[in-house]
Amino acid sequence: MIEDLIGGFGVVLQPINLLILASAVLIGFVGGALPGISGVILVVILLPVTYSMEPTGAFMLLTAIYASSVFSGLITAILYRAPGTPEAVMTALDGYPMTQKGEAGKALGVGILSSAVGGMLGTVVLIVATPLLADIALQFSSPEFFALAVLGLTVVASLGGNLLLGLIGVCIGLVIASVGLDPLTGATRFTFGSLHLMSGINLIPVIIGLFAVSEVLKRSQEGDIHLATKKFTIRIFDWPIIRRIRMTVMRSSLLGTAIGILPGIGASTAAMVAYSETVRWSKDRKSFGKGAPEGVAAPEAANNAAAMGALVPLFALGIPGSGTTAIILGAFIVHGLTPGPTFMTGNSDLIYAVFVGLLIVNILILVFSRPFIAILSKLLDVPYSVLGPVIVICCIVGTYSVQNSMMDVWLMLGFGVAGFLLEKIGFPLVSIILGVVLGPIAESELRRSLAMTRGDPSVFWTRPISAILLAIAIALVVMTVVMPLLRRRKARKDALRDA
Amino acid sequence: MHKTLRHITAAPALVALMIAAPALAQDTEFSPSSMTAFVAAGAGGGTDNFTRTVQPMLEERLGTNITVINLPSASGALAHQRTAQSEPNGESLDFASSTFITSRAAGQNPIGLEQLTPVARMQSDVLTLVVNPEKYETFEDFRAYAEANPGEVVIGGTHAASVDRMAFLALNEATGFDLNFIPYDNEGAASANLLSGNIDGMFNEISAIQGYMESGEMKPVLALADERLEAYPDMPTTVENGWEFTFGNERGVFINAETDPEIIAAIEAAFEDVFNSEDYQAYAAKANLDVRSGWLGSEDYRKVLEENLAFFEELLADQ
Repeated sequence: MIEDLIGGFGVVLQPINLLILASAVLIGFVGGALPGISGVILVVILLPVTYSMEPTGAFMLLTAIYASSVFSGLITAILYRAPGTPEAVMTALDGYPMTQKGEAGKALGVGILSSAVGGMLGTVVLIVATPLLADIALQFSSPEFFALAVLGLTVVASLGGNLLLGLIGVCIGLVIASVGLDPLTGATRFTFGSLHLMSGINLIPVIIGLFAVSEVLKRSQEGDIHLATKKFTIRIFDWPIIRRIRMTVMRSSLLGTAIGILPGIGASTAAMVAYSETVRWSKDRKSFGKGAPEGVAAPEAANNAAAMGALVPLFALGIPGSGTTAIILGAFIVHGLTPGPTFMTGNSDLIYAVFVGLLIVNILILVFSRPFIAILSKLLDVPYSVLGPVIVICCIVGTYSVQNSMMDVWLMLGFGVAGFLLEKIGFPLVSIILGVVLGPIAESELRRSLAMTRGDPSVFWTRPISAILLAIAIALVVMTVVMPLLRRRKARKDALRDA
Repeated sequence: MHKTLRHITAAPALVALMIAAPALAQDTEFSPSSMTAFVAAGAGGGTDNFTRTVQPMLEERLGTNITVINLPSASGALAHQRTAQSEPNGESLDFASSTFITSRAAGQNPIGLEQLTPVARMQSDVLTLVVNPEKYETFEDFRAYAEANPGEVVIGGTHAASVDRMAFLALNEATGFDLNFIPYDNEGAASANLLSGNIDGMFNEISAIQGYMESGEMKPVLALADERLEAYPDMPTTVENGWEFTFGNERGVFINAETDPEIIAAIEAAFEDVFNSEDYQAYAAKANLDVRSGWLGSEDYRKVLEENLAFFEELLADQ
């Protein structure tokens, strides 16, 4: 392996390949920062360009774009509450309040560092343990995915705010997710005869509408005020902060990698679970959602680690772990490579070059992010009466580009208005996203599990991984929901007795 | 009731084309300034790869620029709809797979052969029943187990209106096995479950499972074809077992049915030229898409599609 790695460095350090990596990082930055343009779309756009390249360069380009786009979604999430990619939704939760408090530089610094650490840890795991992890990933089938989705849904209990509203939000999300064709029988659900609704409601219009557009609407009501953060400096290596978030970053990176290797469970889910775990381990739960640096560190470390983890089943088994890796898989085939269990042994030159490329990409992210954000933050000098409409236009273009659909744009604007109104009553908008992301996984995997056993639910507790995950979920609900209720009751009793 | 779905051999089609197509193509100069290729599938999949490979070859032959637009929504129905509603000037093409017909049979696709005319079929892959060799060494093993354990054998596949589900229904009906079907979100998820032994089999093209065959973790045991495949002479076929159905995933090109037949013929001729080119054949070989010849001209492709549609509708009606 060491020889392979040295060989990989030899390939990557060729000037042409370094140039490829640097341009990939910049493309990923721009695309990731634009709401709606996600890694998937960038990879699709550049796919034809890679047809004429030799395979090593082609896959370094595609994987590097993927990695840097997952990173750069955080910039607009923190500055404008307009998550550039679905993976960055959770980052907006604490990142944007930090910006409102005038701590944009700090939030970006935390985000950049956590992303780079998460990405690098994920890559190291990828290099060391790909074949081993791939076997573990195969232990996950429908019952385990169902249990993981349930665990993810319990995040709602750690979001803070009104729990009842959070639960309603999850249910709204589940309803949105159930639109379209039934995943198992193909029956149409809530499509009202519309072809556009048949494939369901895409996640991106929901996220962009609920977060970005609703925020523009809200600020337009507040009149033309400049952000308090007109001038800020990003400090990436800010030691007091690093001491504070280091455990969070390590835990979230490992969690992110672990979730990323599971086929079909992407970086968005990883960010959600990492955020929830961070809240649970924190001594100061109340600060989350109001601008806690840990709330930025956790999802960013996790989503970048998960993006790397998603490459594990792709390389080791030929099974894509996420939407973007599915497209990279298609690219393998066009290049005449045969993905599958023998892929790694047959193409170790290519794989190790890609691994080394990813390591370097994560360093380039650290180097390039500051000048890039400095350019972006110039936009903060623009009055919001101009910037707001520009954000909305970016949202419209980005949403349209996802699947060339005007219907998505109307949905996005509708969700924008809905988000604006819901926030007026203090509704935790992210709970809706939880339902939309995790609902389909929970539903279809539950039904597949039962189809596998012909209706016997014992499969959920006789399979060890699923049993453990469900037990953690139940314990979480008991700890965060039932215990405070009991405590309140006891306190009331005590008060009565004292009186 | 059994129905034959045998694929018409390429020979008569080629002969017909040699007489008709060049003559027509010379009569009509079809060279628009730009064209649109709607892809009835997501980016990165087989149909998308096919489109993007053919795009520059077609641009060169028609002297035009082609914009590729992926419309994967609703099993590609939006791509069919946009093509059917386009100006009938030959400038909008619909690149689709067999899902066009399976989703039509399942009632998920409002656009049929009345609104879209097939231009050409470029690929015709053979579906095979794929199993985990740790469980079943041969089709006889699979058959013995399925017959001894009715209701116990699970076949994985993609969505409910897919070619694999049709193949499953046809096999169940023809053999009298009592197999179960679980649709997964994508082929990868089904593959993972087959590798880990959670399911007993899946239907897939040989081109898609090369890597797993090399590592000995998957094995095709039954070809849904009428003749044994040249490269796999030991694999039995459905037809030799007396089950009169054959299946494959086909990829081709469609156009608004109101388009001038001369324009259609000109585009068909361009596609035929692409199909016979060295570049295209090299791509087909690289992606293992040349197990059997894919080419069918407009008329013959329509016949095959009409037969398939009737067969699928019958299969689904029996459910």
